[in-house]
Amino acid sequence: MKEIMQYINRDSFLHRMNPLSKIAAVTGIIALSVFTTNPEILALMVLGIFLASLKAGLQQELLRQLKLLVFLSITLILLTVFTLKSGTVIGYLIPPGTLAPGGMVPVTTGALDFGTVLSLRFFAMLFAFQLLVVTTKPSDLMKALLAVHVPVDYVLMFVIALRFIPSLQVEGQKIHEAQLARGYNPGTGLGGKIRSVKPILVPLVANSLGRTQVLGLTMDMRGYRNRQSVQAHKLEWNKVDVVAVGCVAVMGIGVVLGGLM
Amino acid sequence: MIELRDFSYTYGTAEAPALTGINLDIHFGELLLVTGHSAAGKTTLALAVAGILHQEIGGHFEGNITFKGRDIKSFDGIKELSRHIGMVFDDAESQLIFTTVEEEIRSGLENRGLPETEIKRRMEEVLELCEISHLKHRAPHTLSGGQKQKAALAATLALDTEVLILDEATAELDTKAVKRVFSVLKRLKEAGKTIIVVDHNIEDFLEIGDRVILLEKGRIKEAKSPGEVKIQAGPANSETHDKEPHHARGKGEPDLSPPGKKNNPIISVKPIISVKQLSQRYEEVRALNGLDLDIYPGEFIAILGENGSGKTTLVKHFNGLLRPHSGNVALKGLDTVSSPIHELVKHTGLVFQNPDNMLFEDTVEAEIAFGLNNIGVRGQKASEAITRSLELVNLSEKREAFPRHLSRGERQRLAVACVIAMRPELIVLDEPTTGLDAEESDRMMQLMRKLQQEGHTIIMVTHNMQIVRDHAERVIRMEAGKIVEDFTSTRAAEGGIPA
Repeated sequence: MKEIMQYINRDSFLHRMNPLSKIAAVTGIIALSVFTTNPEILALMVLGIFLASLKAGLQQELLRQLKLLVFLSITLILLTVFTLKSGTVIGYLIPPGTLAPGGMVPVTTGALDFGTVLSLRFFAMLFAFQLLVVTTKPSDLMKALLAVHVPVDYVLMFVIALRFIPSLQVEGQKIHEAQLARGYNPGTGLGGKIRSVKPILVPLVANSLGRTQVLGLTMDMRGYRNRQSVQAHKLEWNKVDVVAVGCVAVMGIGVVLGGLM
Repeated sequence: MIELRDFSYTYGTAEAPALTGINLDIHFGELLLVTGHSAAGKTTLALAVAGILHQEIGGHFEGNITFKGRDIKSFDGIKELSRHIGMVFDDAESQLIFTTVEEEIRSGLENRGLPETEIKRRMEEVLELCEISHLKHRAPHTLSGGQKQKAALAATLALDTEVLILDEATAELDTKAVKRVFSVLKRLKEAGKTIIVVDHNIEDFLEIGDRVILLEKGRIKEAKSPGEVKIQAGPANSETHDKEPHHARGKGEPDLSPPGKKNNPIISVKPIISVKQLSQRYEEVRALNGLDLDIYPGEFIAILGENGSGKTTLVKHFNGLLRPHSGNVALKGLDTVSSPIHELVKHTGLVFQNPDNMLFEDTVEAEIAFGLNNIGVRGQKASEAITRSLELVNLSEKREAFPRHLSRGERQRLAVACVIAMRPELIVLDEPTTGLDAEESDRMMQLMRKLQQEGHTIIMVTHNMQIVRDHAERVIRMEAGKIVEDFTSTRAAEGGIPA
């Protein structure tokens, strides 16, 4: 089974980084990708993140999301083509002469640009976030978030959400098998996917809800909500940390200056 | 240490009280065993003693509970109580919050603000104690049910609280692992800890117990010494008697002694399942290793083995959920590789361990109809099949009930009904008695007997030796993906099965 968004126990330069600086860098990247509309900067960022993953030997993790991201990009570009008209018309989605003499749904450069920017934003954000998650132990992530005074309840929510992704995958598989054993045959393709929603999702959601009480009690009994102050020695900075945060900061300044000029 | 005085409790939305007039003193350093049928109030009592009812759940209270002379209400929430009381719940999955076993244990200790050396020491100790050192870096979803329970236990043990409460915390452990927990508890008791074990099957812990409390309908029915329980083996613990096989008690059933031919398959009888040189691997792990097996119509087979020995993997081949990596499996002459699952399931009904993984409809009736519709049985025929299977599992009056509101035992029986309604020749049950109390397990086994009489072939995957001794005719024991023993049992309790 492919696990998504799970910590990978390995030793790379990304693993050795301070979780706080990783969080800072990722937050920076997300902020940057929201604020900039410059496709070159975004492409550069995606490339940078990908190179970092290459250095850490984690490119496979990122490439796994490619299918989803490409699907998302195509949808976004189609959406902008349909809804946005600016710049010059470079063609028609439905060519002239087929349905209407002048062609329908004009494709404009503005729409293509904006669609590309949106797609690149998602690439940057998802890649960066994924690198953070797969290279940081959830407990370190929790400590770092607490250290910057994120409320403990939100931190726990985040950590638990990550933790239960693969468990839900496993459970979904078990439910799927249990239904197959009852002769359930949803068929393939989109129709099958839609038909399989109820028999699979209902048990999955009901089981998850049934789990919340024990989960909450366990957290309280292990003392997560009244933890002692985090020991400072865990949060050390090294060269890579400085470089990473520095890089993002420089790019940020670049974007701001570029915007001002 | 903990005192309950005339304590009664009703859950917020319930009409009847869950506990009534409980008077109980739990002494310092005592090992208390609490048992009873399902819905007798065992878990509620455990939650009450841990202060969780007062602090977290709420409801209607009468009487009071004191911990070390202090009213349990006066503590500053679970966060203060949890410094004194540790509790392990039955649902292991929900007690693992982090992505590795090591982190799970460590984070609880860090929350307490312990110094690093102490954290290391305690962590090593509990990993060793629970025999999970080798699982240190594994993620919860890669662990088996038993391993998860061990990890949850270790994380609670590490906190080193004065009081430890185990609520059905060993249900998924095999015999060897339960023995290990036994010795852990023994050590803790010697170290002066107060321990409360709540379980429908307390047999394994009688030897170290100081007192046994038997709950019935929310009241303390009896308080005895473990010695007395051993001799009498009260009705709640029918799993504990060895001498009296369950079927001897009858329940109005005719004598179910197996017809001779079932035990001695004649060569002319074709096997219903024929497995040849079957191997299966999950990534690098070899789950099944060149396995040969023939199963004949009408047999009642138990498949035994430690956690991870390949039992479940094997039975998933019987209805095509898994396809052989090498070798082959034939079901009634159909090769499982070339036949689609929805054809194979007409012959093999597989009931999984957790009924909650299949129930999704709004009524019991619709739940059974789902499977029938899948194999093309509809209308009047389906309705008849539903009536018949509900009668068999004794759930006729629940036809319109909401499946998830049924008790655990009822849900398990409904899962069986869903499968038998489809009339498969072969019925395979994966751990059919996990989470059921003795009475319900017994009912389940009587049902299997009945189905066998009607001509079905029954295969059970289990680690409950008692039901194997009492019910199985043929016993297959697996180890590391291979069959290491395969013999005919006399179905009586004469000890034909080596421990």
